[in-house]
Amino acid sequence: MSSDALKKRKSKVLRSEGGTPEMKRGRGEGDQQDVRVYSEEVELDSRDPEQDYLQYKESCESLATLMSEIQELKASGAKEGSAEVEQRRMQSCIHFMNLKKLNRLAHMRLKRGRDQTHEAKQRVDVLHLQLQNLLYEVMHLQKEISKCLEFKSKHEEIDLVSEEEFYQEAPQNISRPHLTKSDPHQLTLAQLDWELEQRKRLAEKYKESQATKEKIQKSIEEKKEHLTSLQPGLNAIMQASLPVQQYLSMPFEQTQKQTEVARHLPPPLYVLFVQANAYGQACDKNLGVSISGDVDEAKALSKPPEDSQDDESDSDAEEEQEKTKRRRPTTGGQLDDKRREMLKRHPLSLCLDLKCKDGSVLHLFFYYLMNLNIMTVKTKVSTSSDLSTAISAGDLLKSETLLSCLYTSDHGRETPNPANRYQFDKVGIVSFGDYLEELGHPYKWVQSLGGLHFPNDTSESVRVGSSLSASIMESTMKLLRGRVQSRLALQKQFASLEHSMIPVSSECQHLFPAKIISRLARWNTIAYEEYMHLPYTRHVTEAGLAKETDLYFMAVVERGTARLQAALVLSPRYPEISPLFSLSLIWKGERSGRTDDNLRAMESEVNVFKNELQGPRPGHQLLTNQISRLCVCLDVYLETEGQDDGVEGPREFPREKMCLRTVRGPNRLKPFKYNHPQGFFSHR
Amino acid sequence: MGPVELLHMSVFSQSFSPCGRFLAAGNNYGEIALFSLSAALSPDATALSQKPVLTFTAHEGPVFSLLSTNCHLLSAGNGEISAWSWNELIKKNVKPMWTKRPNYKSSLEIPEINAMIINPRDNSLVVGGGDNNIHILDLEHGVFKAVLQGHSDYVHCVSVREREGEILSGGEDGAVRMWDSRTGQSVHCIEVYKYENCARPQYGKWISCVTTDSDWMLCGGGPHLSLWHLRSLSPTSIFPLKGCQRQAVFHQDMIMSVGEGPFVSHCLLGGDIKAQIPCTPQSLNTLQFNSNSTEHRVLTVGGSSDHIDVFTNLSYRAFSLSF
Repeated sequence: MSSDALKKRKSKVLRSEGGTPEMKRGRGEGDQQDVRVYSEEVELDSRDPEQDYLQYKESCESLATLMSEIQELKASGAKEGSAEVEQRRMQSCIHFMNLKKLNRLAHMRLKRGRDQTHEAKQRVDVLHLQLQNLLYEVMHLQKEISKCLEFKSKHEEIDLVSEEEFYQEAPQNISRPHLTKSDPHQLTLAQLDWELEQRKRLAEKYKESQATKEKIQKSIEEKKEHLTSLQPGLNAIMQASLPVQQYLSMPFEQTQKQTEVARHLPPPLYVLFVQANAYGQACDKNLGVSISGDVDEAKALSKPPEDSQDDESDSDAEEEQEKTKRRRPTTGGQLDDKRREMLKRHPLSLCLDLKCKDGSVLHLFFYYLMNLNIMTVKTKVSTSSDLSTAISAGDLLKSETLLSCLYTSDHGRETPNPANRYQFDKVGIVSFGDYLEELGHPYKWVQSLGGLHFPNDTSESVRVGSSLSASIMESTMKLLRGRVQSRLALQKQFASLEHSMIPVSSECQHLFPAKIISRLARWNTIAYEEYMHLPYTRHVTEAGLAKETDLYFMAVVERGTARLQAALVLSPRYPEISPLFSLSLIWKGERSGRTDDNLRAMESEVNVFKNELQGPRPGHQLLTNQISRLCVCLDVYLETEGQDDGVEGPREFPREKMCLRTVRGPNRLKPFKYNHPQGFFSHR
Repeated sequence: MGPVELLHMSVFSQSFSPCGRFLAAGNNYGEIALFSLSAALSPDATALSQKPVLTFTAHEGPVFSLLSTNCHLLSAGNGEISAWSWNELIKKNVKPMWTKRPNYKSSLEIPEINAMIINPRDNSLVVGGGDNNIHILDLEHGVFKAVLQGHSDYVHCVSVREREGEILSGGEDGAVRMWDSRTGQSVHCIEVYKYENCARPQYGKWISCVTTDSDWMLCGGGPHLSLWHLRSLSPTSIFPLKGCQRQAVFHQDMIMSVGEGPFVSHCLLGGDIKAQIPCTPQSLNTLQFNSNSTEHRVLTVGGSSDHIDVFTNLSYRAFSLSF
């Protein structure tokens, strides 16, 4: 085969060499040659490659046989160029020619096939491209469709009027019912049209309103300007009127200043300030309100919002506790500082001056403890006339006792804010009571006046009315005034009681007989403990009628050898709650109200039938009248005590009182009741 | 009623209802309180069941005497006697059935009524009081039919000897008088203070309690509490009790007495003090034994306090009822 291939190439070269001279030779015969070339190509079409292949095989075989015959002939010794060999060479040349042609044809066919394939491929490519284009187009269209489907119209967000309303209100030319009734699209369009119409109208209106508003604003501006222009004039007038004000003592300027300062008051004090001012103006001309304290400090305090301070102190306190575990000595001072900080009060305080008719003034100083959020009050009473100071009256006008129990069981010793207990725990304050002297008393009514309200853990103490400051202002002021007057009256009475004189006013003369022989010998205060230890007061303490907050006194009434001791409980709410007497008589042995029925009757005469002794309202003479009656009762007791007439000779106490009967009833009571106009004594 | 009023309250009289389940008590303010014994004695009694079920003002003055008949509660106030139906009271209807006043002569002061007792012989009410006389009210006709006059001072107490038809009365004048209930004449008069071993001049001569049991009489007051044999009119035993006795009763073979001092005294007939049982009030006015009901068999005492002590067992105070 390799030899074949080599031969083919050789033949090709040969052929081309042979071809070129041919073309050179017959230039005029070019067309003819072309036709021939074309004819070969045409021939190619007409020939069957299958047959060509068979022909090729045949010619190869015959060439092979011819070669082998030549070889045999040569082998047999035939001469070069012998006829037989020559013939055979000729034949084989023809075969070579044939092979050459076949080769050419094959090449041509290959080329042609290649061309055809290329052509087809190109066509396919074009088609493919077309397909791609189409697919892309489809996709695009699909996207468009979906976009369309997803499209949201703005009108859906517009709040349209309902259909019925639309038909009712819209004019025919917009609503077009014949069209829109059937077509929802048209309906929506119509509705939108109507909406647009309406909105346009409203916009118009808005514009109009805006214009009027502007106009009004302008006029306001003008008026304002006018008013501000008045200010300097007014100031000048004010300045000019100052001397007149001073001359007429009208405190306009002062109140103005005060309200200016009041702006810096903490809220509870401000509430109280406003309420007290209002009450003073409306109902009570004798109520003075003033603010004292450092305004600048208050200003500084009110400026920064101090919410961080609290947390700080909290964490500090915790640290503090940890520290205390480790180092004792240094923390004492810090804890003291903490305490001081906690008990700090607002730099401003409020002072109410309550003038009474007799010229005495009750000064109430209200403080606000910022960190405890409670209000406290301190009091001071200034009297017009210098009272002769009674020793036993020392406690009466003291700050601690003066306002105690203004309302039932309001002792003002413990803080009313339940949260304070935890704050105290943190800094180691055992009881608020230790600081009362310094800080004042946190009575519940004070909190109410300041609008502070704390839930009560004891539900039994029902508050008077609601907790609004205004609602209790009037009653509190009345109570305060009543309290001061009663205390002043008591002080006066005590002064004369200490001089063994029982003042009895003319209105109360009829309660007692003209002649009272028993005399008050002593009047002094006693301590609570002392009272508790008296044997004849046990029933009172057992009944819970003697409280630590009450005041305790001892009165001694004497007649001859008889000596009547009366221990008495004076409630801070006197005269609303009357004093309670317990008696003990030392005469021929000692007897007390607990064992002797007659002494018990004397006790009830002063304790139970106190209403007769009240005197003119509001009953400030109750105490002295009670003591007077006690003297009268002692007279009766002693004068009716004779058992055996005539046995003992002269009686120590001759019967001077007129009695219907000396004893009565199973427990043989003496007649202690005095009947005024007739002047005799009878039984209850 | 405020705490001060309670502090000065005294209980003067008590009476059990005919059914024995209720106790009526009268105080110095003219109030009568009804306590439910069945509630107070029940095992699940609370503090509330020791309070009265009903309190009402019956009279102006103190209620010195209370008495129960078969269906009525009789109460004595300042010179008047009222009758209340027990049935209505239990239903809390407070309205007196009737109110009567004995015919008093003096008008300056209305005399009090200190003691009442029923004389079952002729169904009459014996009333002793401040006008020194004993009035007999005929309960059948509702009229005062007799006045027994003889005491020179007011009458403290009355008692009836049913079999003999005698009425006994003790007075401030120190005499115990025996009256014939039919004729109204004073039969005997014992002036106890004149007997040396009875007299206590440091106290006085009045007789504030009289009780009888067949031939025996118990009386006391200013003089010592003493047991008398009535047929011989002589004191047989004298009880050395301190203070004046206000009420004494025979109980089985014992004598129980209350008076000044915060205790109930148990005495033997021979004259010995067996026991003195402490109680709440500082002095006692009244002592009652409930024999009307077996299940509420209690002794109650009242005095100068708003408490009425209840003894389920005679030897100690069980609890107190209070106004």
